[in-house]
This record gives sequence, C-alpha cells and structure tokens, in this order.
Amino acid sequence: MGATGMSGAANAGDKQSYVLLQVGNSRFALRSDLVEELAPPVKLHRFPNTTALVAGVIVRRGKIIPVYDVSRVLCGRELSVHRFYLVARRKFEKETEASAIPVNGECELATSGLVPGRDGDPAYFAGTLHVGEEEIKVLNLETLVSEARA
Amino acid sequence: MKIAGAEATKARRARSSEAVILFSIANQTFAIAADAVQEIRSTDSLGGAAIEIEQADVPKVRHLVERAKRTYYVVSGCAHFGLKVTRPTLVLILRQIRAAVLVDAIERMADITKLHALPRGFEGDERKWYRGLAYLEDRVIPVIHPAGFLTAEEFARLDQAAAESGAAAQLEGAAR
Repeated sequence: MGATGMSGAANAGDKQSYVLLQVGNSRFALRSDLVEELAPPVKLHRFPNTTALVAGVIVRRGKIIPVYDVSRVLCGRELSVHRFYLVARRKFEKETEASAIPVNGECELATSGLVPGRDGDPAYFAGTLHVGEEEIKVLNLETLVSEARA
Repeated sequence: MKIAGAEATKARRARSSEAVILFSIANQTFAIAADAVQEIRSTDSLGGAAIEIEQADVPKVRHLVERAKRTYYVVSGCAHFGLKVTRPTLVLILRQIRAAVLVDAIERMADITKLHALPRGFEGDERKWYRGLAYLEDRVIPVIHPAGFLTAEEFARLDQAAAESGAAAQLEGAAR
C-alpha cells in the first residue's frame, strides 16, 4: 500500500476503493490504501500535550499510535462513546506514521468515483462519493489534522 | 563458559535498561531517569530554605533554593504541564540543570528496557517536555526530558530577577 497524499489521487469517474467510517451520526470515507486496520477499542493512554486533536495514544502490536479525535472538527464535539479505532497512515516528509481515529461503528469498503468538492467545502474534504443514495464526504486526513491546528 | 555467557547476558540487560523514577502530578504519572535526579526532598523540609522571587516572566517558577552553593529554580509541575493545581509534597532537585520540580508523589522506581520515540503526530511543547514514551505494565508513561523544564532564556530571566530581588533584599537589610 503506497502512502500518498489525497490530493489528485483520483479524478471524477476513476473508481477507487474507500473505507466508509462513522464518526458521530455521519459517515465519511478515507482512501483505503491509507488504512492499516480497524482496531478494537483498546485502552486510550492520555498524558499532557498541547497538540490540537491528539487525545492520547493506543498500543497496537508493540507500536505506540497517536489518536486524533477528529469528531471535534467533524461533529463539533468530543464523542463520549466509540467502538473502534481506524488506523490510517499520515505522511511526514519521507516517512509515514500510523495514526488512529475513533469511529462509532463498523467500517465497510466501497468502490466509487470521487466527485470533486464544491466551493466552500472545508479543505479537509477531498470530494464526495455517491454510494447508493448516500453522499459521503471523503476525508483528507493530513488537512483535517493540520487545519485544526491553524 | 556458562558463567561467562550468563554474565554477558546480565551485562547486556544492564546496558539496555534504564532506571527511572515514576512520580505523579495531578494523578498523571511521569518517569524521569534516576540519574537525572540529585535529591528528593519533602516540601516541608525545604520550606525554610525556599526564597520567593518576584517575577512574572516565568509564572511556573515562584521560588528558588540554594543547594551546595548553586541556585535551583523551583518549577511547579502542574503549571509546567498545564495540569490542575494540586498540593505538591515533594521536590525533585535535578542534577544536570539548576531546576527543582514540585511533584505530588513518588510512585516507585522501575527499569525501562525500551524508550519509544514520541510519535511525530505530537507537535506541541511536549516535544520539549518528553524524551519519549515508556510502556510499562500496560501503561504508557511519558519520560521526562529534564532540560525541558526551563529554557536558556527562562534561566536568564530568572537569574536576572533573582539578582534584582537579592540586591533589593540587601538594600532593605542595610536600611535597617
């Protein structure tokens, strides 16, 4: 699985695989080649830090993985209950790092073409998928996390 | 040969592990290398030796103590880490830098065999505060970077404030 950025990854009509995830009451999508696993709700370890959105860390297979509570940006509040962690990779210059997002429900795979975002959409949405009757926003994890810090 | 092998293993283990002191501030556990701490004193025993310094540049420091002809600035652990204010009972007097840290309690000593790098997702002040993370008995514990308590600039400001308050005290004494 290559770890490239979301931008320019797919044109409308080019079908690509996405993981559909639920945060709060809404469903979002993330490019599947960025996703490592769906982890069970293991213990969240918290310690003082000043990085926006980082809620703590989880431990998976001996690795310490930061947890980003993106619900504060996507839903406007911190989720009190979540069922899983979606572990995806963030890119840092030439390296990538596993990063976890708390999600509410089980995730599913979908293959669809990406429709570019509309003017006025937040930059952390890379576009929209049409899955059945549903319109699902595709997340740009890098922008989502960095915009919250701006 | 068996003995030599066992000794080599023991030596390897000794080299790869690090003794740390686990302490807590506001119910949060931290680790610090044992050899980074020169002395642990109770706040009661140090109370008489602590001198209040009036300065607003570094609000986490309100006192200094003189130990072995060195001036140590007393850092509030709560203020440094942005934790809720508690009543500290102990002071860790550090070895490499002229700082002492107010903490709530010492939990115990421990050996850590692996220091995990702080994930790059952490981009704030914690990069200065922590050397890394230890995973001990199902707990992830930040390992303190002692030099992160006060920057060179903060030391300079505190030295200046201490010198000014020392001079003021001398003048006051002379006037009496």
